[in-house]
Parts: sequence; structure tokens; C-alpha cells
Amino acid sequence: MSRLWPWIVGLIAVLAIWVDIPKHQFSFPFNCPGICFRLPGGASGFQTEIKTHLGLDLQGGTQLVLQLRPDKLPPGTTIPIPELNTQARGVIDRRINALGVSEPVIQALGDDKILLELPGVSDLQQAQEIATRQAFLEIKVPTDGGGFKSLEPPLTGANLKPTSVAFQGANQNQPVVQFEFAAPDDQRWVQLSKDYLRKPVQITLDGREISAPTITVVFTSGSGIIEGGFTTQSAKELSLLLNSGALPVPLEIVQSSRVEPTLGQESIQKSLIAGIIGLALVALFMIGYYRLPGAIAVVALLYYTVLTYAIFRLVPVTLTLAGIAGFILSIGMATDANVLTFERLKEELRSGKSLRAALEEGRVRAFSSIAYSNAATILSSAILFVFGTGTVKGFALTLGIGVAVSFFTAVIVTQMLLRGVLSFPALRKRSLYGVEERDIERARELRATPPVRA
Amino acid sequence: MLFHFVERKWWYFLISGLVIVPGTVFLLLGGLKPGIEFRGGTLIDAQFTSAPANEEVREIFAGLGHSAIVHRAEGERVQIRTPQLDTDQTVAAENALKAKYGSAYVGSTPQSVSPSFSVEILRNALWSVALASLLIVLLIAFAFRSFGWAAFRYGIAAILAVLHDALLVLGVFAILGYFYDVEVDSLFVTAVLTVIGFSVHDTIVVFDRIRENLKLNPGEPLNPVINFSIMQTMVRSLITGVTVVFTLLALYSFGGYSIRNFALALLIGIISGAYSSVFNAAQIISLWQEIEDRLRGRARPQLKGSTPA
Repeated sequence: MSRLWPWIVGLIAVLAIWVDIPKHQFSFPFNCPGICFRLPGGASGFQTEIKTHLGLDLQGGTQLVLQLRPDKLPPGTTIPIPELNTQARGVIDRRINALGVSEPVIQALGDDKILLELPGVSDLQQAQEIATRQAFLEIKVPTDGGGFKSLEPPLTGANLKPTSVAFQGANQNQPVVQFEFAAPDDQRWVQLSKDYLRKPVQITLDGREISAPTITVVFTSGSGIIEGGFTTQSAKELSLLLNSGALPVPLEIVQSSRVEPTLGQESIQKSLIAGIIGLALVALFMIGYYRLPGAIAVVALLYYTVLTYAIFRLVPVTLTLAGIAGFILSIGMATDANVLTFERLKEELRSGKSLRAALEEGRVRAFSSIAYSNAATILSSAILFVFGTGTVKGFALTLGIGVAVSFFTAVIVTQMLLRGVLSFPALRKRSLYGVEERDIERARELRATPPVRA
Repeated sequence: MLFHFVERKWWYFLISGLVIVPGTVFLLLGGLKPGIEFRGGTLIDAQFTSAPANEEVREIFAGLGHSAIVHRAEGERVQIRTPQLDTDQTVAAENALKAKYGSAYVGSTPQSVSPSFSVEILRNALWSVALASLLIVLLIAFAFRSFGWAAFRYGIAAILAVLHDALLVLGVFAILGYFYDVEVDSLFVTAVLTVIGFSVHDTIVVFDRIRENLKLNPGEPLNPVINFSIMQTMVRSLITGVTVVFTLLALYSFGGYSIRNFALALLIGIISGAYSSVFNAAQIISLWQEIEDRLRGRARPQLKGSTPA
């Protein structure tokens, strides 16, 4: 088994580097060897693009948290709240799709809230329209007093076939929205035209009148038009809203934020610089303090960085600013395992053991400390991940994955590299491991006297 | 070569106290300022090529009917805090800034939280802290499960060391909040929880060595064993601390202002955690033993006196 490790470690490294290379994709069946750059337009067939998923704070966009307000529904509504939530998300999803926002996030937060993330949308008012416009269409009939009232039960837009924009008028330049009721509401629409012939009916959207045409003929089908003095744009918008369906429940924005794409770009650059400098500082320190093992630790650390980033891209983990902070912090924590190993190695070397024996002894004795240390951090990351929200989750996930990967690199990769180095006779001097002959002498003297004195 | 870690414990406690006591005072003075996440409201972080005077910006918002608290922030930014604005009001305010400053106004990052939702966010944060604390206590209990009766005092000492670190971070941010209006958000809570996890583990490593050495040297007095154990684990504690501090320093200095406070909270906490596990945690064990010895010492003469003949 131990003969296999170098091959496995090497293979993982190659795969990780391949995954890390920006902007390429798996194509199936493989139609290009090695790295496939994404072609504009894209080829048909199965394609999974591997890329770094960036959070809103890094790529710019708008985030909303929406609160369901079932208390604002007419009394007697009996749909359970989780069902309302699912329906509302469906409606918002259709609206976003129609607008062509790429990679939106529409998630339930508990039963009564919805998280909405719109990358690339920097118009807060547009986001609000998408999220909170109820688009509740209702046909009302005249009362004796000259007002309008709902039918019993109300005739609403719930049962509409897809609507479309048409043009009418003398020059065919007046945009209108064509609609058609599906069964059984089409029969009610026909009946309504009989009941209220030569009287006005009111078409309302979210309680506001759009138009109040007078019925001039008895309808023969469920179709009709809405003419509300539209522009082409507003007619299209209304048609889209009606096609996406009405929100089953009023939604209220309880949290909103917007990040400019340029600011996100800046954050990426800054955290990249911070990461490189942090890594460089740790590398310098490790080599300065531990010499040859330090250099090995740095190789392991680079391996760790490449592998972790590849995992982020594969899973995929959406990277936020806090997530990157977690990643950078995990670089520092990943060295802990190496420090534990090297300190034991030094201790064993000072006690006069041969390099090979010291290495083996150090490995065995450091293992439980490393396992324990990593378990503690993974545990606290798990708590943060389960109970945290947004930013906190991102941080916990990257920190947790980072620490788990560091366990692999510290136990397998570092040990393997150390053993590999020992096969070169020129690298078998104790001084390369930070232990001089006089250290061994001193340790021997210390052992001669009891270590603990009163 | 033995350091007198235990004998100088009062000095180390004093150093901790010098930071914790003022911090606690400012905590009690309400120095810890909740961010809009925990309080509700709107924060508009506006970027300029050359930042205008706070008063001027405040007047623009007053003109729109919003009472605003305006702060200058680094990098030609101005932070404007108001009660919760709705989307239309936010956009109107941004347009007013654009109209007034033209191309000098680069753009802004608005963030709004409704007061009702902020209550929920705060409650979640407190829950996660409570749960994490419970788990930490369980983790300590698990780590010291084979210590026998001594587990109790080791557990208490570890919890005290963790409280030390949490209190220190909270205190420093209370001071920063009191004087510089630095606010705390859920990232801050995350930082505190991360620090707690890190610190507990550091302390457990030291205590583990103490137990190991007590077993290897039966009958030895406690204090020298503690000194020796701290020495053995100190290098590892320091080096691990130093590497984490290096990465955090890089994050603090180059990571941009959005995560600067987060990096600062972690930095303070990790340094405090390394300090408390080397200079405080085991010293508490020693102090406990000394108090116990003194109480017994006082009890013994009485015992002798009560049994004459």
C-alpha cells in the first residue's frame, strides 16, 4: 500500500492542477485532449463547466430576503405556508428565467422566508419588481352604485393560458395584451359577457384598475384583450408577469443589499494578494525555522492550496469574501499538523535516534495530536455551517474543507516527501533538520538529570 | 533551563487584566455597537473620488427627510446610516448623491435590514454562540474524561481560559466601538466562535502534557511539572500561533476594508488564545492547588488540636 501512495498523491496533484486551470470544461464525449477552453457559442452535448463560483459580494449583484405575508391574504385562505413558499419561489423563478439572469439563487429560508440572489442585477427597483410584484389579475363586475365588485368566487388570472402582446388600432400601433381563460373559467367569461352585456367590467392588477371596457358583444370563447394605454415595453412586462403567474401571497423585503461588480473585482484582487503574501510569510518562516523539513512543508502547503482550490471548483463551493478569509486562515492552520510532526521529529532526533527511526517515531506520536486538532476545528466549522447564515456558512465551509484537506496533506503528503528525501544520502545530515550534534549532547545531559526539579 | 511560568502567574494574570478590565468597563458602558444586521436600518457605503464633508452628506439626507449618521471611512468612502429605507427611498438617496457630486460620486453599496428581521438574525447568532459553548464544554469533558476527579478543575480552567479570550475580543471591540464607532456583525460572532475553538484546543494540548508528565513523575510537586509541560508544548503553540498570525496579518493588511474588522477580531483572539494557553490556563490549575493546600493546611492544625491525647 505504501508503495502506491506516491502514485496516488501524484495523480491527485495532476488532476487538481487540471481542475484549477481557469475556464475550461468537461466535454462528453471527450472531443479534445487535455484542457478544453470554452468555445464561444458552445458545442452541443453534455458539458459541465468547471469554474470558480463567486458569491454576490465578489461578482456584484443584488440580494433580497423576502418575508411571506400570509396575514395579508383575504381571510379564509387555507394553503399551508410551506406550500405558499414553494409556489412563490416557482413564480419568481419563472420571472427571472424570462429576464435571462444567469445563475440566480432562489432558496427557502425556513418556511416563511425566501432568499433571492440576482448576480449582475444592480437595479434595486428592478429586483424589487421581480420579487414583490404580485401580478394578481382579477375581473370585477359593476355594482348598482356605479362601483365594481368581485364575483363569487372571484374570477382571477389563475387560470390563464399564456398571454401575448398584439397590436390594434387604426395604424396597428396600439399594443394590447391578449389573454385566454382556460376551462372552466372560459365558460364563466362567456357567461359574464351575457350577464353584463352593454355594461363596463373592470380589469384590475394587484387591486388597481388597468382598464374598464364596456362589453359590446356576447363572447364565444374564453379569450379577451387588455388595452390599458400601454407602451410596447409595458405591455410586454404585463404579459410576462401574467405568464409567470401571480404570487400566491404578498412578499415583503426584509433585507436587501447590492454590490457593484467593480467593488467585487477589487475584493477578489485584494484577497488574492493577501493570500499570496500570507502563504509567502508562512513559507519563509517554515524554511527559516525548520530548514529542509520546512521546505518540504512548503511543498505540502502548495499541494494543499492547489488541491483545496480544486475541491472548491468541483463541489462547487461558492466563494465569498468570508469564504476566502476562511481559506486563507486554513493555510495557517494547515501548518499546525506539520509543526506537530516536525517538533516530534526534532525531539526524537535529539534523543539520538537515526533519521529514519526518528521519522517513524515522530509520525506515530504526532498522529493522535493531529487527528485531535483537526477534529476540533472541523467540529466547530460544522456548528457554524449548520447554524450560521450566508456569510458565516461560507466561512465555515471553506475552513472545514481546508482543515480536512490539510489532514490528508500533513499525514500522507508530508510523510511521503520526508521519506522520499531520505533516500538521497546528501540529504541525510541532521543539521538539515535543525538538530546539531551539541543538541544531542545537551539532551543527553538533560536526561541524566531528572527532567523535573523541585 | 526552566522558565518560571507558574511562579510568575500573578504577573501574567495582571497582563491579562490590563486588557480585560478596561474592555469589560467599555462593554458595560455599551461600547459594543451592533451593526445594522442586528439592529435593523439602512447602511449606504458610498465611494467618492474625493469624499465630501460628513455634514454636507447629512444635509442631503435631511433634505430627503431621513435622519442620517455619517462617518468618513478609509479610501474616500462615506458610510451613511439611517433608519430602514425602502427600495425607492434608497434609489432616490443615491440619485441625490449622484446629482450633487456628479462624477466625484463613484457608486455605493446599500444594505437594508428590517428591524423585525434583525431580531431574528440576532437570535440566531445568540443561539449559535450558546450551542457552540455547550459543545465546547462537552469537548472539554471528552478531552479530560480520563483525568478522574481532576477533570473538574481542568475543565473549569479551560473554560476560564476560553472566557478570557472571548472577553478580550469583545472588550477590545467595545473599546473600538466606543471611540471609533466600530460595529459588530455576524462575521464578528463567527470570529469569536473560531477563536474559541482554536483556544480550547491549544489549552487541551498543554493540559494533556501536564497529565502525561504527572504520570511519568509520580510524587513530584505540581508546579515544576506544570513549568516543564508548558516548556515542552510552548514551541508548538508559538509556531502554530505565529503561522496563523502571519496569514491573518496578510488578510488584515491587504484583504481590503470589508474583512478588516473580521481579520482584526481573529488576530486579537488567536494571539489571546495562544497567550492564555501558555500563560494562564495551567497557572489556574496551580492556583487552585495552592488554594486547596492552604485550606487543608489551615484545617490540619485544627484537626490536631481537636484530638488531644
